[in-house]
Amino acid sequence: TWGGFYVVGAYKMSDSAESPTETQKEEIHPPPDDSATNDDKKKIDVLLKAVGDTPIMKTKKWAVDKGRTVQSLAQFISRFLKLDATEQLFIYVNQSFAPSPDQEVGVLFDCFGSDGKLVLHYCKSQAWG
Amino acid sequence: MADDKDVLRDVWFGRIPTCFTLNPDEVTEREAEPYYLLLPRVSYLPLVTDKVKKHFLKVMRTEDVEEIWFEHEGTPLKWHYPIGVLFDFHASNTVLPWSITVHFKNFPDVDLLHCPSNSVVEAHFMSSIKEADALKHKSQVVNDMQKKDHKQLWMGLQNDKFDQFWAMNRKLMEYPTEEGGFRYIPFRIYQTTSDRPFIQKLFRPVSTEGNPHTLFDLLKEMCPDALTKDGEEKRFQVVIHGIEPLLETPLQWLSEHLSHPDNFLHICIIPTPTD
Repeated sequence: TWGGFYVVGAYKMSDSAESPTETQKEEIHPPPDDSATNDDKKKIDVLLKAVGDTPIMKTKKWAVDKGRTVQSLAQFISRFLKLDATEQLFIYVNQSFAPSPDQEVGVLFDCFGSDGKLVLHYCKSQAWG
Repeated sequence: MADDKDVLRDVWFGRIPTCFTLNPDEVTEREAEPYYLLLPRVSYLPLVTDKVKKHFLKVMRTEDVEEIWFEHEGTPLKWHYPIGVLFDFHASNTVLPWSITVHFKNFPDVDLLHCPSNSVVEAHFMSSIKEADALKHKSQVVNDMQKKDHKQLWMGLQNDKFDQFWAMNRKLMEYPTEEGGFRYIPFRIYQTTSDRPFIQKLFRPVSTEGNPHTLFDLLKEMCPDALTKDGEEKRFQVVIHGIEPLLETPLQWLSEHLSHPDNFLHICIIPTPTD
């Protein structure tokens, strides 16, 4: 299933793109076809993968605004997984480096995306140093 | 004519004369004198400002001291950007020494990342190197290094040891001869006219026809407005380590010689001064 990000502050999540229950601030778009160029889209597709014994997200695929930061995404995952506020969450790209918390996901997608999506691994402890 | 290796030394030892003054709103027990320091362009503020912090803490009461942060003309300075980049972007064409204001209160969470210790700087630095190698070598070179090799890169930077750093870093600057260069060039372009932090995209050092790409080619692809059109007045300067390299310079050469220790080529596009 696909989910969508809304403006910071009020996360309204739905598991199914077809039936959002509350007023949306932005439309959820279906997965884009291959002919659309990345620059024209405001959202990019992110696939979240859990590492080790970190809980797995029920919804793994998300359409995320390009300008969203890694920190914002980490906070979203923590809230979704109902993690303790004190628990840290580490995000990794290519299973090799942790991007800066203020890095935009759009930049990571442009540089490290494959098959039309950005795969990010998340972990409660340091996985790849 | 300077040897290519001399360029590496010149880049490493670049310094910016800086004057640190305490924010006048801080509560002090007595007047704080300004503190003068030569800052290494290639390092990061938390690594080189211990003496600055000590100097100002002398006039403050402990209860008035929170996390230190720095600001230039009202703009909080991001500690996780190399010092030289901060200067070229914010203060290139201002009178030296560079004026930085020191704060111990009201940390601007929105603008700055927290930096509770040097290990945070180390983690950030190593991540940048890994990210750069993901672009240059699909992470193969950095992954083949041992933990102690990674530590050597960090210690070299932290202790200002050029030889120690480059003994390891030279491996990250190698590439298969038949390729003509890295897979992609790690770069970031900062523009004063943009609301985005920087441009970072995939860009190859060699064209499909086998011709080396130049700095001009990169800018034409990423921010064509920065380039001067024929007959027009030059509106922007393209600055790397405080200088304007010729636009015909091969990008691969720039990446090997003018990158920061984090292995990224940081390029500032600033308005041409109108004096």
